Amino acid sequence: MKRLRRFLSRFYMALCFIFFYLPILVTVIYSFNSSKSLTNFTGFSLRWYEDLLSNSEIMSAVYVSVTVALLSTVISTVLGTMTALGLSKSRKFLREYLLNVNNIPILNPDIVSAISLMLLFSSIGMPKGYWTMLLAHISFCTPFVITSVYPKVRSLDPNLANAAMDLGATPFQALTKVILPMIRPGVFAGALLAFTMSFDDFVISYFVSGNGVKNISIIVYNMTKRINPTINALSTIVIVVIVVILLCVNVIPVIRKKKKNTENSYSKHRKRTYIGAAAACLIIVCLVAGIWAAGKGGKKTLYVYNAGEYIDPDLLTQFEDEYDCTVIYDTFESNEMMYTKLSSGERYDVLVPSDYMIERLIREEYLQPIQWDRITNKDGLMSEVMDKSYDPGNVYSVPYFWGTVGILYDTTQVSSEDISQGWDVLMNPKYKGNLYMYDSERDSFMVALKALGYSMNTHNEEEIQKAYDWLIAQRDTMNPVYAGDDVIDNMISGNKALAIVYSGDASYIMSENENMDYYTPGQGTNLWYDAMVITKDCQETELAHQFIDFMLRDDVALANTEYVGYTSVVASAYEAMQETTYAGIGAYVPDIHGANNEIFVYQDTEIKQLFAELWTKVKAQ
Amino acid sequence: MNKLIELKNLTKNFEDQQVLRGINLDIYENEFLTLLGPSGCGKTTTLRIIAGFEEPSDGQVLFNGIEISKVPPYKREVNTVFQKYALFPHMNVFENIAFGLNIKKMDKNVIRQKVERMLKLVGLEGFGSRDVTLLSGGQQQRVAIARALVNEPKVLLLDEPLGALDAKMRKDMQRELKKIQQEVGITFIYVTHDQEEALSMSDTVVVMNDGEIQQIGSPTDIYNEPENRFVASFIGESNIIDGIMIKDYLVEFDGFQFECVDKGFEDNEAIEVVLRPEDLDIVEPDRAKITGTVRSVTFKGVHYEILVETSARTYMIHTTDFAPVGREVGLLFGPEDIHVMCRMGGY
Repeated sequence: MKRLRRFLSRFYMALCFIFFYLPILVTVIYSFNSSKSLTNFTGFSLRWYEDLLSNSEIMSAVYVSVTVALLSTVISTVLGTMTALGLSKSRKFLREYLLNVNNIPILNPDIVSAISLMLLFSSIGMPKGYWTMLLAHISFCTPFVITSVYPKVRSLDPNLANAAMDLGATPFQALTKVILPMIRPGVFAGALLAFTMSFDDFVISYFVSGNGVKNISIIVYNMTKRINPTINALSTIVIVVIVVILLCVNVIPVIRKKKKNTENSYSKHRKRTYIGAAAACLIIVCLVAGIWAAGKGGKKTLYVYNAGEYIDPDLLTQFEDEYDCTVIYDTFESNEMMYTKLSSGERYDVLVPSDYMIERLIREEYLQPIQWDRITNKDGLMSEVMDKSYDPGNVYSVPYFWGTVGILYDTTQVSSEDISQGWDVLMNPKYKGNLYMYDSERDSFMVALKALGYSMNTHNEEEIQKAYDWLIAQRDTMNPVYAGDDVIDNMISGNKALAIVYSGDASYIMSENENMDYYTPGQGTNLWYDAMVITKDCQETELAHQFIDFMLRDDVALANTEYVGYTSVVASAYEAMQETTYAGIGAYVPDIHGANNEIFVYQDTEIKQLFAELWTKVKAQ
Repeated sequence: MNKLIELKNLTKNFEDQQVLRGINLDIYENEFLTLLGPSGCGKTTTLRIIAGFEEPSDGQVLFNGIEISKVPPYKREVNTVFQKYALFPHMNVFENIAFGLNIKKMDKNVIRQKVERMLKLVGLEGFGSRDVTLLSGGQQQRVAIARALVNEPKVLLLDEPLGALDAKMRKDMQRELKKIQQEVGITFIYVTHDQEEALSMSDTVVVMNDGEIQQIGSPTDIYNEPENRFVASFIGESNIIDGIMIKDYLVEFDGFQFECVDKGFEDNEAIEVVLRPEDLDIVEPDRAKITGTVRSVTFKGVHYEILVETSARTYMIHTTDFAPVGREVGLLFGPEDIHVMCRMGGY
């Protein structure tokens, strides 16, 4: 009995540890994988670490994360400790009131704090970047320091400071020689908390930074679109750093205690001074470096805002060199997110939104007309991508990439007969539990509406209701998985037979897994265009046009489409890709002849809300 | 003896509450002075003003004739022993005692010698490297005293220093404190609410109540000649009786006239009489003017506490004689046992 109980408790412990550490272990192992896959370990290699070190974007993000975390830790620890000390001496009413107020930022959802801070910085006209991120981090770290230091202060004998002063210590000496040593555990705990909070913060950092300043979290978030094992290498390094810090925090006191018995107090005192001096130097270095990073150079600066993983980063460096300028490159996760940042007054010169969003931006007068005479490479553009409904005559936009949405299928599992059913194959019980839907209301309703033979831009509520019923029926009979960008990696590994994907992603998957093929149903699909536009407030109009022109240059367009995998709008690159990298990969060539294909039209709020509500219901069960 | 500290018309308000209402007090060199009173009487506030932790709302604090009420505590030549000792838990015994000397940046060898001497004075030789949090209450108390005295202050302030000790330990420490005071030869200002402690250690006792000084005097004066009802009832137990001073050396209460040793009141002035319970003797009824019935008897160790009900009131008597409940007895006392004081309202 006793033995059984012991076994069970050990088993439970082991289970806990596996649960905690297995994910970390997987990350560490796959950071040494020689191939890109996250599911097959093909051999040991350090290539992702090399990639990491040579990736200047990641390295600068590491720099931002570390310095912001260190500075905000030091500053918020000082502020928080001072506040806790002050509070313990203030009147009861004030103290309790302030402690309650102090809890608000802790309990507040990050997203609320993030938006508030973003609005604050916008309204006072503070340019977003390193300093706004630092200020935001200080503001959300300080309450944690207060909550961890205050109980320690309260537990002190209130006469301790008096006793020190009674013995001749000035108030400052009483603080440093008596009070601080006694509350040190609380201060340390607060500082550690502040550091981790700051180091891994994503939401707040994402909203309050800008102008190309990114921390590790933002970079990783932007990189998740294409599974990139460089993240694993980065994560592994972060884990190692944290383990080392934890070891130091736990082991140093033990060593120090052992030494304390042998050393006299004089040298200990001196050592403490050295540590203090070293810390002060570190802070100064960080500050200086931060200032340097914030105010780099006096060159012309172009602010570009594009979707994540949607450009070959080398091209940005190339542009900077050729035009002797600085490109501040920011990425967004969705068109809607871009719109939010833009409308909050953030400065951007060149944006790369999608068709329907361009329509909206034109309507709301965010854009300025393109000066086509400055676009020397305009003749290289394919006629198929020009003069579309979202911007007739291309007054405001220059195409960037284009494509369709279709069905990616495993040719070893899905017969050509089945796939020719088009969208209806998604209702074929043969593939129950064996397919991915795209977790997006826009794309899912497009599929349902097209399957039913309606327009995807319909405003007819009856048709929308039927599409909703179709999605519900499909959900209940087919058990689809509603996936995001993880579908890319899963389909490369051949995890399911069918998936709804964008053509560019399909090209990439097909180039990695030859069993996969791409089909655009004859019932029609979403034909989409992403295009470059120049904002009305653009401060470098000439440079913005030069950038757009640069992206259309034959060699640049080819490099970009090769890197990203989406279909080029430049004829030479488009043709070259079909002969080389994506030879025989049909997904690279959008089906522009389908009579039922449509481009998304900007939806007004009411209809958008209806779609959003219905989609929530679809996903509810 | 020279005046060391003078408190002149000291008042202190906390928000809208007045805790000191005009304190005037002279403190002399080498004096063991005790501030005695119930909690909330202002004795600790007075001490904290002398130490410099509080600033008086009005009035003066003179130290050797110099006004110091705005001087911060770390510049005053006084040191304090706190109620709960306020030792620094992150330092050992030696480091605690050496704290003040280290602040003054004294030579390490001098510090070592001074600390050793102090440890010897308070009977803690060899305790230097002990962790203060692991010491007993009495030992912590000695460390606190040593930590204050090592700075050679002109005045040592003690804020209810024995409050946290048990009864036996408290007795020992009382003796010890008195001995230390005589050895170092400096002024001790001692705050307590324990009248026995005050009477057994002090040269001078200052009885305080409600922010005012009630009486200043030697322990015997305070005990034997309480100036008012408050002092009489706070110092020991008393029978306090309304009476009339017929003329010098003659007082009337409970319907009888008694000879007494007091004079200087107006004829027929309403006064109060204090009769200490231990000054009353129980005798046969025919031997005394005041008679009554024994209502209760409690054994207190050295004596019995007997309550006798007379026609006018109930008297408390402390006596080694036993009288059973219900017996008719007489209460006997001499002229020197009657203490006459001014009648005052409020108590």
